[in-house]
Amino acid sequence: MSLTRRQFIRNVSVAGGALTLGFQLTGCSGKPLQLGSDADFQPNAFLRIEPDGTVILQIPKAEMGQGVITGMFTLVAEELEVHPSRIDYAMAPVHSAFGDPEMRLQITGGSASIRVYHEILRQVGASARETLVAAAMQQSGLDRASLEARDGRVRSADGNVDLSYAELVPVARALAVVSDVALKPADQWRWIGRYDQRVDAVAKTDGSARFGMDASPEGCLTAVLLRCPWFDGAVESFEAAEALALPGVVAVFATDFGVAVVAEGYWPARQAAGKVRVNFTPPGGGLRDSAAISAALEAALDGEDFASVRDDPATAAAEQGARVSARYAVPFLAHAAMEPLNATCRLTADGCEVWVGSQAPDLARDVASRVLGVPREAVVIHNQFLGGGFGRRAAADNVAEVVAIARELKQPVKLVWSREDDMRHDWYRPAMAGAIEARVHPDGRVSHWQHRIAGPSINQQVLPVMMGAMLPQWVPGGPRQWVGDFVGKKDFASVEGSKELPYAFDGVSVSYRNVPVPIPLGYWRSVGHSHNAFVVESFVDELAHAAGMDPLTFRRQHLPESSRQRRVLDAVAKAANWGNVPAGRFQGIAVHDSFHSCVAEVVEVSRVDGKVRLEHVYCAIDCGQVINPDIVKDQMIGGIVFALSAALHGEITLKDGAVEQSNYHDYPLLRQTDTPPMTVVLVESSAPPTGVGEPGTPPAAPALANALFAATGERQRRLPLRLG
Amino acid sequence: MVTFSLNGREVEVDVDPETPLLWVLRDHLQLTGTRFGCGMGLCGACTVHLDGAAIRSCSTPLAMAAGRSVTTIEGLGGNHPLQHAWVEHNVPQCGYCQSGQIMSAAALLAANPQPDEESIRQAMSGNLCRCGTYHKVQQAILSAAAVAHWQPAAEDAS
Repeated sequence: MSLTRRQFIRNVSVAGGALTLGFQLTGCSGKPLQLGSDADFQPNAFLRIEPDGTVILQIPKAEMGQGVITGMFTLVAEELEVHPSRIDYAMAPVHSAFGDPEMRLQITGGSASIRVYHEILRQVGASARETLVAAAMQQSGLDRASLEARDGRVRSADGNVDLSYAELVPVARALAVVSDVALKPADQWRWIGRYDQRVDAVAKTDGSARFGMDASPEGCLTAVLLRCPWFDGAVESFEAAEALALPGVVAVFATDFGVAVVAEGYWPARQAAGKVRVNFTPPGGGLRDSAAISAALEAALDGEDFASVRDDPATAAAEQGARVSARYAVPFLAHAAMEPLNATCRLTADGCEVWVGSQAPDLARDVASRVLGVPREAVVIHNQFLGGGFGRRAAADNVAEVVAIARELKQPVKLVWSREDDMRHDWYRPAMAGAIEARVHPDGRVSHWQHRIAGPSINQQVLPVMMGAMLPQWVPGGPRQWVGDFVGKKDFASVEGSKELPYAFDGVSVSYRNVPVPIPLGYWRSVGHSHNAFVVESFVDELAHAAGMDPLTFRRQHLPESSRQRRVLDAVAKAANWGNVPAGRFQGIAVHDSFHSCVAEVVEVSRVDGKVRLEHVYCAIDCGQVINPDIVKDQMIGGIVFALSAALHGEITLKDGAVEQSNYHDYPLLRQTDTPPMTVVLVESSAPPTGVGEPGTPPAAPALANALFAATGERQRRLPLRLG
Repeated sequence: MVTFSLNGREVEVDVDPETPLLWVLRDHLQLTGTRFGCGMGLCGACTVHLDGAAIRSCSTPLAMAAGRSVTTIEGLGGNHPLQHAWVEHNVPQCGYCQSGQIMSAAALLAANPQPDEESIRQAMSGNLCRCGTYHKVQQAILSAAAVAHWQPAAEDAS
């Protein structure tokens, strides 16, 4: 059996801890990867260099504003020896070569992109460079030591050999790829830790950036969907004669997801939708109102049946300390990304193509193939820029809908959600309740920390869906739901950020009770950390005050001397001039680990005539080796703005099973005029890089709550917070 | 038929005059740089200029544009001092709201070439950014204002 070059996919795998760039037969993993042409030099799945010298990097992660393309260019450029701005990108197709090395799925989440890819991408660049150098050695007859790769060329010291990468492509593509290349030491880095120009900035300032909303295959119609306001209803009947009589309206029909109204453009579709009358099946039972859900969570805290996720026994006698206890609650939250959900589908001979901005393109592919009843390989996903993700675009409900509509319509169609659809049919950050207590001893020591968390499990709902894309399609839904139910009992997403409490308290127990609700739940920037940091860091503040200690001193005292937490606390305290604020100013502090990074924040407020105002937010992060400093700072500030929007305004409420909020007037976000100045300190580290997309978010709400306590003497334990 | 000037060129469209300008631009004229965010004039993602003033195209019927001059992000041409400043300051994250931010900022600078920080905040408060790029927006406007003064008359140059 003879194999052509194209019958190989170049795969990257981490085997036995050692990184290898290798070749893998296509037979085991579906279709071969067809990228570019045979004339290109393609040393691995990620990189190819065209005969004219164009360098193209396949981006295996979604670009949703976190700067992943810039970060990946920086890593590859460092070793490839080209300027980062000289690389072009392509959003990677769905393929096993592009699955997340840890999560298996081709998914963007967990602030993981740079953490899991930094070494792989440097190796991708280094391997390509050394193969190009090997080509130059063959061309020139010189040895390795006589040649240097720099700025897209391979030169000899005497200048007699000077070959561009373009000139070397035809030679390099015939050579065996050089692998296991030693990476450049940090003192030789030109771009890592320094490069600060977002490579997608131009397209995002001249209007040319293409988001999912901008996809427009030829002959594409626009659909809107009339969904049932409550989450368990289906279309019973509908009346569309009036709508069908309107100009530009093409079709109105029922789908599993609601009544689709298809027209020549969004506006006629939306106008026509207003004329369709739909009867939905009546709502089922269960918790359908916010008040009932809050009461159920509160009652759950008093009940039994908690699953322990951490139980370190105490050595001290409890009665020697004063008991401090409190209860906290947080609401459901919407993602409210600026680009309303949408997706575009065109049927093909054996399947379909889908244009969508997705955090999980292989989930999108799996969902599309199930709706259409075709193998996954018959579905092509064209991933686009995401107009904000924040976890919402890890779901593929929009893809299921558009494929169902295209299947019926048999014409290319773009499904566009209204802002109201987006707000009322989100996969929400769950409402949660917490009961927490501890003993504070006369010497300031803390024992018997007990944190009970009650609330719905995200993963009980989401894992069965995700597993649909991870497992062979013949695996039925039952076992997948069984896994979801099992994981839901101790859902890591419900307890993350509480279970890992970093303080050296004497006896820490954390337990969880799943309280299912008939409301779709999803990952929301920082997931469980978004609520657990608020509870834990507010309560630590309560303990500091109970001990009569300064909140920073109290925290430091209970953290190991050389810990990252202490370093970021000290850095933020210095930046904020902690403890030395002018009269009328008050500060609150919080520190939290998430996604392998450690962030401390200080919120400073003023209080004049009983009115509290945000004055400044200070932030310090340890995220290991920084790749692009400006992007890290932007992610911290963006994460804080996101958190403060939620802490001050965010609340999704339900009535009769339907979401009451609809648009930015009743689900407000921070605006330019509400956003205080911010200072971000990057704590120096040469440890491997860790997350930055989410870790800025968790400490902001507790830091604000702690500042409000400092300013008013009132402890607010329920989000959103009131300013005075 | 409705006729108006779009980025310096006469255009004629056969669209229901009640259709919001946003959808005429996006669905009929394929100018997709103007974004749909909320449909109620609450977020500013759809901001364009009508005779030089920033308006929300999602809540402005096509009829209002008849015989008047519309400028979209594509009409700024890529060389506007604000666009350079936006790139230099790395303002965009996801980028979805940035066309609207830039169009609001351009209208501000045309009316007030040397705005202070407070007038920038006020003028930009109608433009939401979920990524939280507000500080960078401010910095970019300040630096563009210091660099050059754009001639608003250029909007009508064909």
